[in-house]
Amino acid sequence: MSEQHIKEFSYHIGWRSRSRRPGRHKSNQRGMGMEFRGHTTLLAYPDPRRIDIRQTIRDPLEQIHVRLFNQKSVTPVFVLCDLSGSMQYGAKQKKLAVAADIAQSVAQSATRNRDLVGFIGFDDVVREDWLCTLSARPHSTVEMAENLRDYQAAEVGSRGVIDTVRLLPRERSLIFMVSDFHMPISDLEESLVLMQRHHIVPVVLWDSTEYTDLPEFGITNVTDPETGAKRTLFLRKAYREQILQSFAERRELIKSLFSRYDMEPFFVENHFDADLLTDYFHQYVAA
Amino acid sequence: MGFAHPLLLWLLPLAALPILLDRANSRGYSWVAMLPSDPLSNLIGLLLKILAAISLFCIILGLAGPHSLEQKIQRIGVGAQIGMVIDRSASMDDPFSGGTAEGRVGETKSVAAARIMSDFVSQRKNDMIGVVTFSNSAMYVLPLTDSREAVLAAISATAGNSLFQTNIGGGLTSAVSLFERVPDSGSRAIILISDGAGRVGAEVQQKLRDWLERYNLSLYWVVLRQPAGVDIFDPKYQDHYEEMLPSEVELYNYFNLLRTPFHAYQAEDPKSLAAAIADINQKEKKPIKYMQRIPGHDYTQLCYFIAALMIGLLLSVKYFELRTWNTKP
Repeated sequence: MSEQHIKEFSYHIGWRSRSRRPGRHKSNQRGMGMEFRGHTTLLAYPDPRRIDIRQTIRDPLEQIHVRLFNQKSVTPVFVLCDLSGSMQYGAKQKKLAVAADIAQSVAQSATRNRDLVGFIGFDDVVREDWLCTLSARPHSTVEMAENLRDYQAAEVGSRGVIDTVRLLPRERSLIFMVSDFHMPISDLEESLVLMQRHHIVPVVLWDSTEYTDLPEFGITNVTDPETGAKRTLFLRKAYREQILQSFAERRELIKSLFSRYDMEPFFVENHFDADLLTDYFHQYVAA
Repeated sequence: MGFAHPLLLWLLPLAALPILLDRANSRGYSWVAMLPSDPLSNLIGLLLKILAAISLFCIILGLAGPHSLEQKIQRIGVGAQIGMVIDRSASMDDPFSGGTAEGRVGETKSVAAARIMSDFVSQRKNDMIGVVTFSNSAMYVLPLTDSREAVLAAISATAGNSLFQTNIGGGLTSAVSLFERVPDSGSRAIILISDGAGRVGAEVQQKLRDWLERYNLSLYWVVLRQPAGVDIFDPKYQDHYEEMLPSEVELYNYFNLLRTPFHAYQAEDPKSLAAAIADINQKEKKPIKYMQRIPGHDYTQLCYFIAALMIGLLLSVKYFELRTWNTKP
């Protein structure tokens, strides 16, 4: 578990944290930072170490000025993890195992940045037993993610995504929403509306055997892990193309939905590569 | 439609199992709703279930053994309804007087009678023939039937050990009873084959006379004469014969007084016997209505064949089943 090396990624946020706790992100808290914020009088901010002599001399009213700085603060980081039946799927690696990789990487990276990390699992409801409160240490989240690898989901959907907002803090947080987003788009939109205050990184887990790596020809039966619905499929060239088209449309739909809320989905296919997530932050999140 | 084991039909609801239950060998897929609806796939899925249901249905139906019921068809042919009354008395085991002439020395009368009657039966394809034998009393052998095999078997069964007396009255009355419940075809006859004769009581004589008339029966009497036996046509018995008449002649005289057609033949040798038979053959030829029984057809094989066909189709679908799609981690 923790002996195994967990690969980290680097991330940053494009907004100011309100947390007083010192960290690595820009903050609007006055403190011992490097970011100049303005001047005030010594009486208002009685810190003689910060007396700005040049400003004091220039003041015709002969008041003593001190410089104000913003400190760097932490931000809460959450992993919202979908535990619905469809996350059981996966050819080489279950989607849940990929999600566990991501959660562990997030926990490790957040701790490295001195940020607080929490884990929330949901299926049709918010799973109280798959919950880690915010912590400055990664261990509980890493361990919970480890347990996730052996988790067998029942036939449940992912309607609980709407309720997860109750567990999120009031302050703006960085949220990794890990799911395959095989859920009705209306549920997803409803939850996104409620979580607009947060910075959400949607991590879309798809497996290539779901659509691109389909067999060429044959008959098979498939079962839906969430509803138990069964279908007989007669795979052939025309039908394969229809499935590919359906997934392409779904990808566009998810992209356009997240774009409307100013988020960029991060697609993960088959396995998680932390470097790609670093690239993602460099590319889409203003420093 | 009938079934050999109708209780097995209670298993028929089992045939609905493939439709009610889903296939067990199903692979998981993340979100079936993502797969676009495909009419051909749905059709195949439905067909597979129906194939399985039909094969189960046919197997259970086959086990129950379906068959159609026997049918009766009315046919019209040329022939007669004939009751054969064959003498089984011990004297029938004596040699037949005609045997020497044909080269069958020592052929008994019973064997000769059986042989000749078999020939007669074989010639007449559309007759309904019943068989009664008699010695001390009448023995009911076969009702009126159009089955050749049964009649031939009944006739060949008459050759065997026999008893002493000759109760012609009993034989004839039970022969008459053969015709009681059978619709009149217009041509009905009793052929009495005997050597000698017994005496027939006055009461039986009267009854026979009435019955033969009521059922419209003509009577043919074939007398198998023993070498040096009584000749019933001997003119010396005709008028004013002083001594007691032999029983044969007495019977002959009685038969002549019947109100229905009667003819007697005296068979001394095969030729005259054949002539007698040919004569009967000639006289009893009128259109006859009779019911033919057609046995039911057995559909078990058909059921199993259909089931095998369906299972074959299912197996061929199995051949097309995906094996390369690895969806399990």
